[in-house]
Amino acid sequence: MENVTGEGISDQIERFQTQLQMDGRGRKHRILMVSDFFFPNFGGVESHIYYLSQCLLKLGHKVIVMTHAYGNRSGVRYVTGGLKVYYVPWKPFLMQNTLPTLFLTFPIVRTILIREKISVVHGHQAFSTLCHEALMHARTMGYKVVFTDHSLYGFADAGSIHMNKVLQFTLADIDQAICVSHTSKENTVLRSGISPEKVFMVPNAVDTAMFTPSPDRLSCDEIVIVVISRLVYRKGADLLVEVIPEVCRLFPKVRFIVGGDGPKRVRIEEMREKFSLQDRVEMLGAVPHAQVRSVLISGHIFLNSSLTEAFCIAILEAASCGLLTVSTRVGGVPEVLPDDMVVLAEPAPEDMVRAVRKAIDMLPGIDPQVMHLRMKKLYSWDDVAKRTEIVYDRAMQSPQTDLLERLPRYLRCGAWAGKLFCLVMIINYLLWCLLEYLQPTEGIEEVPDIRPVHARLESVDDTCETQGKGI
Amino acid sequence: MNNESRPKWRKVAYGGRQPGYDDNHTDESFLEEMVMNANVVKRDLLKVMIDSVSISQYLCIVALVVSTWTYTLNLVIDEVTLLKLDTSLLLAGFSMLLLTASPFSLKLLSKYVLNTSFFISGLYVLAPIYQTLTRSISSDSIWALAVCLLLVHLFLHDYSGSTIRPPGALNNPKLTSNISLNASIVASVLVASRLPSRLHVFAIMLFSLQIFLFVPLVAFCVKKFSLRLHLLFSFALMIMTLGVTYQLHHMFFILLLALLVFISIVCPYWLIRIQEYKFEINGPWDEAKLCFDITE
Repeated sequence: MENVTGEGISDQIERFQTQLQMDGRGRKHRILMVSDFFFPNFGGVESHIYYLSQCLLKLGHKVIVMTHAYGNRSGVRYVTGGLKVYYVPWKPFLMQNTLPTLFLTFPIVRTILIREKISVVHGHQAFSTLCHEALMHARTMGYKVVFTDHSLYGFADAGSIHMNKVLQFTLADIDQAICVSHTSKENTVLRSGISPEKVFMVPNAVDTAMFTPSPDRLSCDEIVIVVISRLVYRKGADLLVEVIPEVCRLFPKVRFIVGGDGPKRVRIEEMREKFSLQDRVEMLGAVPHAQVRSVLISGHIFLNSSLTEAFCIAILEAASCGLLTVSTRVGGVPEVLPDDMVVLAEPAPEDMVRAVRKAIDMLPGIDPQVMHLRMKKLYSWDDVAKRTEIVYDRAMQSPQTDLLERLPRYLRCGAWAGKLFCLVMIINYLLWCLLEYLQPTEGIEEVPDIRPVHARLESVDDTCETQGKGI
Repeated sequence: MNNESRPKWRKVAYGGRQPGYDDNHTDESFLEEMVMNANVVKRDLLKVMIDSVSISQYLCIVALVVSTWTYTLNLVIDEVTLLKLDTSLLLAGFSMLLLTASPFSLKLLSKYVLNTSFFISGLYVLAPIYQTLTRSISSDSIWALAVCLLLVHLFLHDYSGSTIRPPGALNNPKLTSNISLNASIVASVLVASRLPSRLHVFAIMLFSLQIFLFVPLVAFCVKKFSLRLHLLFSFALMIMTLGVTYQLHHMFFILLLALLVFISIVCPYWLIRIQEYKFEINGPWDEAKLCFDITE
């Protein structure tokens, strides 16, 4: 065994290093996207991974997605554009997260990394346990790792303190990190203590081909305000309960359409009864993502009342459909749109009403088609993919380190936590040695590269804007 | 890069990469909206010490209960004395409540009396069951369990309020304070089951339940009524407890004294000292707080 763990691994590292030297700027990467959140789940992280992967595939990189099994959707699947997805057979236990096991995911992560000849591992979302574990294993095996943080966290409550420590562990030895807005970057740097130079700001984008404005302009006789969000506390549903009756009282021409479901839906329905607004506030319930556009284009103004938001893709979708946005000034929202496309307000009912009044006054000057064309210039997933590519190039340039060089980085994470993190990494290293002995790399079959799809689609103008997640 | 030709960096996410700047560009404005220690409250040593009296007071009450249990188990106190003690405690508690709880009403009094009489008769009927409840368990296990339960009780007790709410209280008691109350009741049942006669069991159960259920309520009302009365009551209680425990067991006395000193002098001082390490960060990434009350 000594023979194998000693020389086998150093051989492998050498082999790997030569492979890495060949990779450099401009070379095609072989990327593994890891997150607990992926289709069939829906949300900001999921669509970010999906669109980014599609556009990276189009740029000629190889992209594999790894997530946990959703229901009986387990094993390997291919989605649009030949994107290969590993649904690892681990069951989620809480909010679509897998049970944190630290080491148990190592064998399968290692097999996937070797089989797919991965060069960069890209983890998404700070509260995805699968992402943290995969990044840890990838670091142990000497792969380059990149991490994208999609949300904001506080510093005060017990939950945040623990999450931030986990993030610190993952980011202690990361090659590059990505945040979706400048505010998110500040937040991530503060939470994890990594150097701001290592953190790139690459925003989300919107599929402008999917969110087009309605062909004929709506009349301004009646103004429709659209709200689409999960009706939960964090999305500011309580703020809506205060704002909607006040706006209805002040502007008799205004009508509301509220899409979305959640625990606060009852409160909004109660409000509707109390102020007899049944004919002016329409409740749609949950709106499937495919129908979001058709709801959006029936309105003039989009109202976002979130209390915290790292980026807010919903605003982009609304703007792309030509709606004027009224939003709370929280988190990264002020960075998302130019000042003339959004009206910002403090998260207080009076200020929200003032912002709605301002938006109604601005409305005659807004042309949805012009707005849509501007959005096309401001955001595209292709741009996001190109910027992410630069981050991968940078990650590939970072020097190769061995365990002894990496341990001090973990030790710096805190008096107790630092030692604990080191211990975890040492155990993980030993586990790697054991796995190398039990199932040598040579014994793992590599997947041949079959790249028919984008070769075929090259003639099509824009792969990224092909619609739908045709699975 | 030429400094004059390139436009100023803006904190925006739209419009692709900003010309002349990399995506990992860190501007001078980085973190300038961060605010540190914005909501830190300056604490006053004397005020913290006065606040800690509530804890010392309750600790003394539990020590007194334990002393009574020990005396009863050693048959120093007989059941008749215990019943007299129960009655006087009940009367004292009622008068305290009536004096301090505002507004005073006959309806409230009759409600209290009715509830208490139901409670007492129920307890009397159940006393034989309690007496034989744990016969098959060894006494050592019972003592160990009772001590653990009392520690849990003290640890989770709601020192700032009362688990049994005065009528008309707004919020419900928290889960931890309910667990604490239940732990104390189980401990009383365990101790009572070691006693020789039914009347003993009834008397000690009544005594323990009176203390654990109603003394926090009375203490809470007294504190709300007048802080001076609360302090006076607490100090009298402390001296009495120290006296009783000194006669009972010297080690117990020293332990209690050390604990009281620790809670009312060392801990407040410690809290003031560690205030300077307080490090609170606020910034644009914080979740917004709603400026109005949510009424469900």
